[in-house]
Formats: sequence, structure tokens, C-alpha cells
Amino acid sequence: MHRVLLPFEFFEPTTIKEVVNLVDGDKVRVLAGGVDLVLKMRRREIVPEKVVSLQKVPGLDYVEGNGSAGLKFGALATLRQIEQSEVVMQNYALLREAISKIVSVQTKTMGTAIGNLCVATPASDIAPPLYAMGAKVKIMGADSEREIPIEEFFVDVGKTAIGPHEIVTEIVVPSLPSGSGSAFMKLSKTAEDIAKVNAAVLVTLADGKCEDARIAVGSVAPTPVRATKAEEAIKGQEMNEKSIKEASALAAEAATPISDVRSTAEYRKEMVRILVKDALQKAAERAQV
Amino acid sequence: MGKEIANFIVNGNEYDAIIEPHMLLIDVLRDEIGLTGAKYACGAGDCGSCTVLIDGKPSFSCLTLAVTAKGKNILTIEGMADGNTLHPIQQAFVVSGAVQCGFCTPGMVMSTKVLLDENPEPTRGEAKTALAGNLCRCTGYVKIVDAVEVAAGTMRKGG
Repeated sequence: MHRVLLPFEFFEPTTIKEVVNLVDGDKVRVLAGGVDLVLKMRRREIVPEKVVSLQKVPGLDYVEGNGSAGLKFGALATLRQIEQSEVVMQNYALLREAISKIVSVQTKTMGTAIGNLCVATPASDIAPPLYAMGAKVKIMGADSEREIPIEEFFVDVGKTAIGPHEIVTEIVVPSLPSGSGSAFMKLSKTAEDIAKVNAAVLVTLADGKCEDARIAVGSVAPTPVRATKAEEAIKGQEMNEKSIKEASALAAEAATPISDVRSTAEYRKEMVRILVKDALQKAAERAQV
Repeated sequence: MGKEIANFIVNGNEYDAIIEPHMLLIDVLRDEIGLTGAKYACGAGDCGSCTVLIDGKPSFSCLTLAVTAKGKNILTIEGMADGNTLHPIQQAFVVSGAVQCGFCTPGMVMSTKVLLDENPEPTRGEAKTALAGNLCRCTGYVKIVDAVEVAAGTMRKGG
């Protein structure tokens, strides 16, 4: 860790258009909250020629929507803002539960949700909920705008689908079906550490049976992943101990973890099963309320 | 943008400092302005020792580019006391024995201020959640949470 940063050219444009005209792959870095960027610059993991701040661009810090129209938040919406927003609290409890597991108030106050996604860490706590809820990522280029499913946004560790001359401007979360329930689980060494394994589950119940299930796990592959086999196994079933046990065993198959300082691959795989089991149980209970 | 004379508003006072874009706020506060209350410890956003409030928001000054804090209202631990009279939060830390080596204290006090501004009557659980981004290597957490309760009590009485 270095005490000081290496010099760079600094830009504070006031429109998205100017930002997009400045960004140019890895040589130019976009500053939102800075928690990850400045840390990596201290470590010399990132040594940009130019840093472009979004902070002077007005109108990017919104969190808006409602239960029926969906949820939208902009590039400068902080984790704390999203966690405390009324619409998230009322209608997108899964996202709120995930953010509550990031414990540092300062990190949540400075850090933006979109910044967290752009870092593309497999351990992101907000990515699995967004996978489970089927979120879309709005990406802006100089003359283009596109919207892609979040599952196509994450490409590899630290790698996203953002082109060299593009930035992410918004996340769009569709409204959730009635009768749905959700749960987020995180396992970490200490409450402040990043996840060894995390899991987000969204289930929809109808007539006592699981009509739809979306299960996403993090920190167990180069990107967050959907546990599709587990989803298929639980769909159409009554959500009881037996069906949940069978589905969660299949969830572990989606995981291709590595061993590192936080955990061994074997342990992570086993914990996927446990976390998904607990999350399915909790989500089913919540759906019935 | 290269070298510039930047204006900072810290604890209500204006300071001019010559800065460059790669300078961090903590270094400008400590080395250019001479306010050494905010502490440099982990440098990585884990410990919260460098916490200052920027426009009321708790921020890691060690991960903030100074250039982005120009003209904003910065509150550091030095701005808490009123002359020789300690702020009720500081007083509560003293009377509760919540200060051991003291290195985490400025950050703890700033985070407590954020909590009590939002929630004047926090539970012990809420106090812990609010201070989760501040580490005490002396592990004196029980007395720190005591101090938050004492401070909340004093401030509710208008102290």
C-alpha cells in the first residue's frame, strides 16, 4: 500500500456526453464514490493516465420507482441512499437486505451501487439480488445507448461488458410478481469482510406451490451465477423441507469456486448448498406473509 | 487541471491550500491545513480512523481526492468542541472510559455524530450498526457503545 497516489490528469465534466467523450478503456478511469478506485490506485493496481469524475454531472443520484413500475437508480446513487430509500424498503427488500450486509456506513455513504457493479468483483453483495430480480444495465456511448441483462454485464473477474468508450448510467429493476418472497444470505470471515459465499433467492408462490424461482450465488465463480438446475428443481413443487433440500443440493453444481485466503473451494461449494437452503426457506416463509 | 490554489471550508473556517489532483483529503487536512485530528491508519477504508463529514456525510478522508472536497463543508474532530467546552459526544466518551489509546476516537466521534443527527434515541444495536465502519484495535467497544448512549441522553436533554 502506498501512502500517496501517482499523478494523473483530472477532469470534472458536467454532462454525460463529455464523460463519454473522455473515457478510453483502462487508461481513463471513472470516479464515482472512489472507495474502490482510490484504494486500487494506492495499491498501484490501477495507474490511470486520466481520472474522470462523475460527481459534477447533475441528476445521476436518483433512486426512484414504485412497486408496479419497477425501480431505477443512477450512476451516483450511493449504497446508503438505496438502502434507505422508501421504494426499496417497501418493494425491493432483497436489495435492501443485501446492502445491509455491507456494514461500513462510510463505505455505503461514499460507494455507489453502479460503481460496485463496474468493479465486477465476484464477491459483490448487490449483484446476486440484481440477478435474482432480473435487473438490466443501461450503458451509454458517444452516440449510442443500450440496455443489457445484468447476467451479460458480468464477463469475468474485474471484467464487464462496458466498451472502451462507454459508461453505465442506470440500473433498471422490473417490478416483482405478487406472491413473491426473497432472501439474501452472506457468509464472511467477519461482518466487515467481503463474502466467502453469498446467495440471493426470489420465489413466487401460487396455490401453495413454487411458481417461479430465481437463485443467484456470488463469490463462487468468476462472476455471480444463477443456479438454474436448482431453480428448475423447485419450480412446480410445494416448498417443503424435502424439495428445498433437493434443490439446494443442485445449487452447489452451479458453483466453480477457487481456494483463497478466505476459504477453500470445497468449503465454498458446501456453503452454497447451506446458504441456498436457508435462503429458499426464508423466501418461502416471507412469500406466504 | 494541474496544480491549483484550492479553497477548503473546514469546521466553518476557510483555508487556501496548493493542491494537485492526486492529493488525498487526509493529507491536505493534516499536512497543508495542520488539522491532525483525522488519523491515517489502514488507508483502505476498513478502519474509519480518517472519518470526516463532508456536507454532513461520513467519508473516508484517506480515499477522498482533495480536489473533490473543494468548497464543501468539511467537519473534522477539531470542529466538534466549542472552544474549551467539549461536545456532548466527546464528553460522553471521556466519562464512559471509551477512550483507550485514542487513535480510533476521532472517527468514532464523527460516526456517532452522524448517528445521533439521524436518530436521537438509538438502541445499543443501532449504535453498533452505526459504528460498524470504525474499528477499535484496543477492542473497547462496550464502553464506546456506552458512550453513545450517554451522549444521546445528554443531547436529548439539550446538553
